[in-house]
Amino acid sequence: MKKLFVVLLLVSIMMVMAFAKDHLIVGTTDKIRILDPADCYDYFSSNILQNTLAGPVDYEVGTANLKPWIFESWEAASNSTEYTFKVNKDAEFMNGNPIDAEVVKWNLDRSMRLDGQPAFLLTDIIESVEVLDEYTVKITLQRPFSAFVSVLGYTVAFPVDPEETPEDEFFTGIPTASGPYYVADWQRDVRIVLEENPNYFGPKPLTKTIVINFYENASTLRLALESGEIDLAYRELDPRDFLAFKEKGEFAVYEGRSPMIREIVFQCQSENLSDKTVRQALSYAVDRKAIVGDVFAGTAEPLFTLIPGGMWGHKGTMPARNLDKAKALLKEAGYSEDNPLEVDFWYTPSHYGSTEADVAQVLAEAIQETGMVNVNLKYAEWGTYVEYFLNGTMEMFLLGWFPDYLDPDNYMWPFLSEAGAKSMGAYYQNDTITDLMLQAREHSEVLDRTIDYAKIQDMLTEEVPYVPLWQGTQQCVAKPEVQGINLEPTQIFRYYILSLED
Amino acid sequence: MSSMKYYVLQRILLAIPMFFILISVIFFVLRIMPGDPVLAMLGGKAPQEVIEAKREKLGLNKPIGEQFVIYVGNLLKGDLGKSMLTRRPVNEEIAERFPATLELTLWGFIIAVVIGIFWGSEASRNREKTVDLSARVYAIFIYSVPVFWFGMIMQLVFGVWLGWLPVSGRLEFIPGFYEKTGFLLIDTLIDGNMDAFFSAIRHLVLPAVSLGVVISSIFLRMVRGNMILTLTKDFIKAAKARGIRRGAIVYRHALKNSFVPILTVMGLQFALLLAGAVLTETTFSWPGIGTFLVKKIKDRDFISIQGTIVIFALLVISVSIIIDIINAWIDPRIRY
Repeated sequence: MKKLFVVLLLVSIMMVMAFAKDHLIVGTTDKIRILDPADCYDYFSSNILQNTLAGPVDYEVGTANLKPWIFESWEAASNSTEYTFKVNKDAEFMNGNPIDAEVVKWNLDRSMRLDGQPAFLLTDIIESVEVLDEYTVKITLQRPFSAFVSVLGYTVAFPVDPEETPEDEFFTGIPTASGPYYVADWQRDVRIVLEENPNYFGPKPLTKTIVINFYENASTLRLALESGEIDLAYRELDPRDFLAFKEKGEFAVYEGRSPMIREIVFQCQSENLSDKTVRQALSYAVDRKAIVGDVFAGTAEPLFTLIPGGMWGHKGTMPARNLDKAKALLKEAGYSEDNPLEVDFWYTPSHYGSTEADVAQVLAEAIQETGMVNVNLKYAEWGTYVEYFLNGTMEMFLLGWFPDYLDPDNYMWPFLSEAGAKSMGAYYQNDTITDLMLQAREHSEVLDRTIDYAKIQDMLTEEVPYVPLWQGTQQCVAKPEVQGINLEPTQIFRYYILSLED
Repeated sequence: MSSMKYYVLQRILLAIPMFFILISVIFFVLRIMPGDPVLAMLGGKAPQEVIEAKREKLGLNKPIGEQFVIYVGNLLKGDLGKSMLTRRPVNEEIAERFPATLELTLWGFIIAVVIGIFWGSEASRNREKTVDLSARVYAIFIYSVPVFWFGMIMQLVFGVWLGWLPVSGRLEFIPGFYEKTGFLLIDTLIDGNMDAFFSAIRHLVLPAVSLGVVISSIFLRMVRGNMILTLTKDFIKAAKARGIRRGAIVYRHALKNSFVPILTVMGLQFALLLAGAVLTETTFSWPGIGTFLVKKIKDRDFISIQGTIVIFALLVISVSIIIDIINAWIDPRIRY
């Protein structure tokens, strides 16, 4: 019996050693929802598509600068609504089917027609798609939009093979690859295996096989890394676990700026918060330092405007904490210690991770330090939460934003256009800001647009429909032998540049 | 009709209204509760017309009565609907997850039964001795330990410190091996892949032991308590007087006579575990039905939640009927 046990143990150890170096194992707590670009609108599904499909445009590694991919070049006149794209003749699917202008048109039309979750990114902008010749596509917009090409960097515009894809419904399987990898095996919520696509027209991946294991929670992810089950953990370790790894020094830890932002939203038509003096007061009372230090142990970055740091157009205009100023403004609005403002402050306990309740608590305490506000903390699970903020029930609540495309426009228009602000639960509208945003969309020069966005950000300090709080950081912990980890501002995690050092 | 046949028929007929009430409650409660599934799906980014179109496409804008009729009609055809998030048939999604839960439950249950019955029986016939005292301490201690904590300690000790066993999942990545039935111990043997077979066993050890040990405390207390009562009965004294061996008295006579309440608890516990040992599955990232349901509840995926609970209800009802039948067979008085 003892012998049998020893033999079993040795076989297991040999097995682990045999498979240790010819592939790389990634662990995550994220999940894949669907791999149809027409309906894919969550981080990890997009992540798989970004590594298995080729998109119209890509970002240079480590930057937010666009570069050609399937589209080898493009042209558009200043203030124009017409864009002409040249398709790379080498681009093809793994089965040998070409990616040409017809394929690009078929896919854009399909995504818009099927009206999946991300379809509005295209339908809000595109008027028509036209094939000019086998490798030339013309896209006409409804109105000038200088950030349009960035939108094509999102997976909703990534083409799939028309011969393998149903035209009138979403598919729930695996798309035929056109990117660096293909999906060799997918067990939902368990594991996905990516193998090198031999027909990819771009550079070959450094590691032939990538295995991604899905974990149910952050603590199991940590244990999996510590026990050697995985080579790297990406999304989402607990901030305290991340710090522990950092302090121990046995593993390589990586931090990078994330384009994700978090903010307080004020329902600007609510009884208590329709007065902008009150909103200003609350913006002076919040304590970003405490959130970043106490809740995130320094792994996040305070944010003083909607456009995240590191992106052009960013201008940190919101005030730092100043309790005296907050008190003075509350007094001006008619509140006092004897007649405090009663406000319901909402958060959702699991959608943004396990730290959310702590964030809400820290903010509530910071605001209550004015002595003139009573904060009633309330929470609801995400399904209920979204319903509440969309119908204007919640007067003050925490929300987050992950960009669809990397451009300041995606941090302005969805927040400040009338429909956008309503969809954020802010119910805010300002004609001057709308005109400035439209003007910025029409300007093709970055400098002109920067000036427009600076004016808007200055106005937001006065108007305060939102209080930006912090900007996320991306974190990754890996075995020291894993090379090529790059936490990019675009949040694209590229498996094809990862390798294991011998 | 024999009393046994009549009893079985009666139990099955009673289960039908019970099942119908249950599915009706699930349907209406899910719709009355706050939280719009379409909004949960789309978040705050989609415009109102997209939200409305989605609602129409999913049939959620129809009157609730009409939705219910459609739901029951589909259910009778065995169609549990399509997940609102993944757009895949719920039957398919559950069928993918169920083997993992069944495999874990079976092994966890076997461990619990072995510990519960043997230690409980030994404790009852050796009252106030070491085996009894240790059983009591074990049962109370284990009963008060949350399974996720116990699981994490096991992961830390055997997975991280000693490095003997994997901390999560059902199988490590083995190139060339693909699941067939979903029962990995069977699939790996069919495949003749012994590396995969041993890997599946190694992955099963920690979750099954954690689950088994935690449940064993309930069984141990049940067996011990019932056996103590039975061992004071006259027929036991008579058996002792006839010189029957102690072991035979305990396991052949006393245990059988104590078994009706024990079996009922075990059966119900088994049915509950089939519905997903949520905490164990979450702790060990075991891709079973429990973690599946938790995720669907978070996403407010009505169709998947309904479908999963219907399957749970069927399982619990079926297991209850089977236990009742076994009990009636062990103790004929139950039939009358």
